[in-house]
Amino acid sequence: MSKVLHTADLFSRLVKITPYCLLALLTIPVLGGLIGVMLPAFGWAPVLNKTNMSLAGFNALWDTPGLSQMIGLSIRTGLISTLIAFALMIIMLAAFFNSVWLKRIEHLLSPILVIPHAAAAIAVSFLIAPSGLFTRLFSPWLTGWQLAPEGSLPYDTFGWSIIIGLVLKELPFLLLIALGILAQPELGKKLRKQHQIAVNLGYYPMVAFFKVVLPNLYPLLRLPIFAVLAYASASVEMPLILGPNTPPTLAVAIMHWFNDVDLTLRIKASAGALLQLAITVGLLLIWLLLEKVIAIVFSQSLINGRRHYAHQLVRTFTHVFTCVILAFIAAALIGLVLWSVAGYWRFPDTLPSSLVLLHFENAFTHIHTPLFNTFVIGLVSTGFATILVLLCLEAEQITAKPLSKWAQIIIYLPLLVPSIAFLFGIVWLQQLLNSQHAFFNVIFVHLLFVLPYVFLSIADSYRRLDPRFARVAASLGASPWKVFFQVKLPQLFAPILIAMALGLAISFGQYLSTLLAGGGRIATITTEAVTLANGASRRTSAVYAILQMGLPLLGFILAWGLPRYVFNNKQL
Amino acid sequence: MRVVKAFTVCLQRCFFSIAIFMCLLTAFSVFANDASNTAWQKIQNQGKNQSVYFYAWGGDAQINAYIQWAAQQVKAKYNINLVHVKLSDTSEAVSRVLAEKSANNHTQGSVDLIWINGANFAAMSKHGLLLKDWADKLPNFIYTNPENNPSVLFDFGLPTQGMEAPWGQASLTFYYDTLATSAPPQTLNELLSWSKANPGRFSYPKPPDFLGMSFLKYALVVLHQHSDAMLQAKLNQPATDENTAQVLDSLWAFLNKLHPNLWRNGEYFMQSGVQMRRLIDDTELSIGFTFSAPEVPAAVKRYDLPKSIRSYAMQDGSLSNTHFVAIPYNASHAQSAQLVANFLLSPAAQAHKQKPAIWGDKTVLIQTSLTAEQQALFKAVKPHPSALPLNSIKRTLSEPHPSWVEAINTGWEARYGTSQ
Repeated sequence: MSKVLHTADLFSRLVKITPYCLLALLTIPVLGGLIGVMLPAFGWAPVLNKTNMSLAGFNALWDTPGLSQMIGLSIRTGLISTLIAFALMIIMLAAFFNSVWLKRIEHLLSPILVIPHAAAAIAVSFLIAPSGLFTRLFSPWLTGWQLAPEGSLPYDTFGWSIIIGLVLKELPFLLLIALGILAQPELGKKLRKQHQIAVNLGYYPMVAFFKVVLPNLYPLLRLPIFAVLAYASASVEMPLILGPNTPPTLAVAIMHWFNDVDLTLRIKASAGALLQLAITVGLLLIWLLLEKVIAIVFSQSLINGRRHYAHQLVRTFTHVFTCVILAFIAAALIGLVLWSVAGYWRFPDTLPSSLVLLHFENAFTHIHTPLFNTFVIGLVSTGFATILVLLCLEAEQITAKPLSKWAQIIIYLPLLVPSIAFLFGIVWLQQLLNSQHAFFNVIFVHLLFVLPYVFLSIADSYRRLDPRFARVAASLGASPWKVFFQVKLPQLFAPILIAMALGLAISFGQYLSTLLAGGGRIATITTEAVTLANGASRRTSAVYAILQMGLPLLGFILAWGLPRYVFNNKQL
Repeated sequence: MRVVKAFTVCLQRCFFSIAIFMCLLTAFSVFANDASNTAWQKIQNQGKNQSVYFYAWGGDAQINAYIQWAAQQVKAKYNINLVHVKLSDTSEAVSRVLAEKSANNHTQGSVDLIWINGANFAAMSKHGLLLKDWADKLPNFIYTNPENNPSVLFDFGLPTQGMEAPWGQASLTFYYDTLATSAPPQTLNELLSWSKANPGRFSYPKPPDFLGMSFLKYALVVLHQHSDAMLQAKLNQPATDENTAQVLDSLWAFLNKLHPNLWRNGEYFMQSGVQMRRLIDDTELSIGFTFSAPEVPAAVKRYDLPKSIRSYAMQDGSLSNTHFVAIPYNASHAQSAQLVANFLLSPAAQAHKQKPAIWGDKTVLIQTSLTAEQQALFKAVKPHPSALPLNSIKRTLSEPHPSWVEAINTGWEARYGTSQ
């Protein structure tokens, strides 16, 4: 008996310290990484025999030709893509609220979530390029073009190509987050009932959504939107493949400076990373300001009692736009599949002249190691993240204290701080600690990006658990460990699997972090795909993009299928 | 008589001392030979049964497959585990070694062997990041006939000082789509008029990309072909603030004329040579170029380029250079890396590499220093229709001093880096 008590005590104590471990695990590397970038930015780089603090890096940065265009491009693409994705998400929610179509659209869009950015960018560029599927459909019978025409997409100087790519990736993310919030039983039920009441009072459904649901929903969406905005303003993959390069976005320029042969450029790159950080923070502030302005401007119209606006017009627009987006995604995926099996495929042929499996065969001969690495890194980082998150949530219930607002922000920290700003610093720290275990380093950095998603994915289900089961079990003498392991976890089987599938998908898709933390030694499917995207045929890239999509999808299919299988067997 | 005797004695002594000298010399050379043999023996003993992390550009499937083949060979020969770390840009490895040096990691470096030349080599050697005096002691180095073959001792004009072992030779080769243009330009000047006649069908990768920079260097060297000797000599000297404008002005004048007729009006430049290849496959471009000629027929066989592609060399010269492998000063497995470098330099490995179906990279070995048996390994086979016809390079142009890369890059960025 005393032994049981003792272990239970140990478990409770362990559980109580996990939230601190989690917060430390998230803050220390990010802040450490930022310091690791800050020191060289102010001229402290012993390797280059520079130990005097100076502003030389910043002076070099200001003297960069086209710096203002770079900043403009980063701000433009980040802000516009987030605004468009947000607006589309809202009107889709509004138009299809309480409709079965919302679920269907979610199912259609959710595979997009697991397509790595690089693969999505390649698929998009094939559609919109002058030699892309769209022009091929109309050539030569309508246009008379025998050679690809001149065009400005992709790589246009304004950045529309980047914006298209980012919107396609961000829209499903925001939509799924919003649906996740609406799936919370209490809040979701409350909002749906209020919506129903508003409709009964004569409000058109879309108007009811904007006046009743949105004001309650938005505060819960703010952090995810911030993560999207931060990512969009500082990401590397999409602008690298779709964006202009005279000049590129600031983040891409920084990456080039970090990798340049001229090693003194690293000081300028570090200064640039700090500038990137400032820009991202500035964008978040602009977004907050926009929120305030919109709240003030529309505060009157919330209670003016008007039941309908240009209702039908907005509805039609939403339907058309949803169809256009779905068609665009479908065309991109069809293009990807066609390229992966294409023989010769000369412009203006709409279809390849022959279909071959050569590209798959070639890929499969070199794929064993990357595949193995991808799985091991994904499983270890996701497994560890899941355990940590579960213990952390258990602590919340044992101590009956929900996580503070600050802790919520810290969980989002790796998503809010541009990775280009702190990853180079982390690598520098790892070298300072002389950490030679590339595998461990990669798993550790992946953990930073996997943790937030796993946490966000499980938290709601965990908090929603009916506490009476645990109470009954405890009153029957079950130890806290037993309650956790035998009462709570089985109820959470399905959400845990979904969270793990999401974690795996995030880990599978990591590019910059795998490359930097592993020193290039650890090849995963994604690092191979991006290397090939920049250095190989579209056919090989298509094969890798399909593999990249296939792996996480496999995870999700397992996560959906396994609980049904297990529980059906139990019932039998 | 006394004079004769004295002379004889003198002669005898002379002979005697010469004989002693000769004996000593022979003994010494035998000893020295022994010393180098035992030194190599020692490297062989210490280098076996280990891993070698070979950091090499990994964007070409054929080259990657060749490195895989080499890995199997050294595994069988020395039980060395050769791991190819695929880079998208060699400078990534350079910055890695530099970062290790900054972290005082002087013995446990992650890079054992690196595929390198030109500006990357210049940067590493400038910062003291490379192991010295090993390459010229490799047993197979003798086959490069270094006394009469400066191309293996100088990298873009910089002495290698035994810091890197030659691996192969490459020349700038052009290719075009016969369905899009029947008469491709044969000189730099013709390229200019061809671009005017076919606007938007030619471009080059944005510097500092290796291939784009190579095109600019080709243009620079050709533009100075008729300059006076003083000015021409400056291409082989370091770029300075004084001579930069003088040397590069003709290049900027040329580019100012060329750019309006480039693809996307010269407002966007592709990232790499492979993107250029993709654009030719898309028929957006009609002419391209590469530094590894065998890549073109290989791409046609893989369906990455249409069958209508043909390769050719420019009449006014082909920019040529040697590429090397080097060992960082802090490599964890320096001995094993030397064994690998020596294997890569062996006649068998070089001959395998030169086969068009394998990689097609030109060997650095000189045929006359090989035995008849070894020479037989290099026998040519019939080339693919899209491949560069044999002996089409009439004239090679040597690389300018590596400091010009930086000068061209800075000037280019200031003039064309911002299009809006």
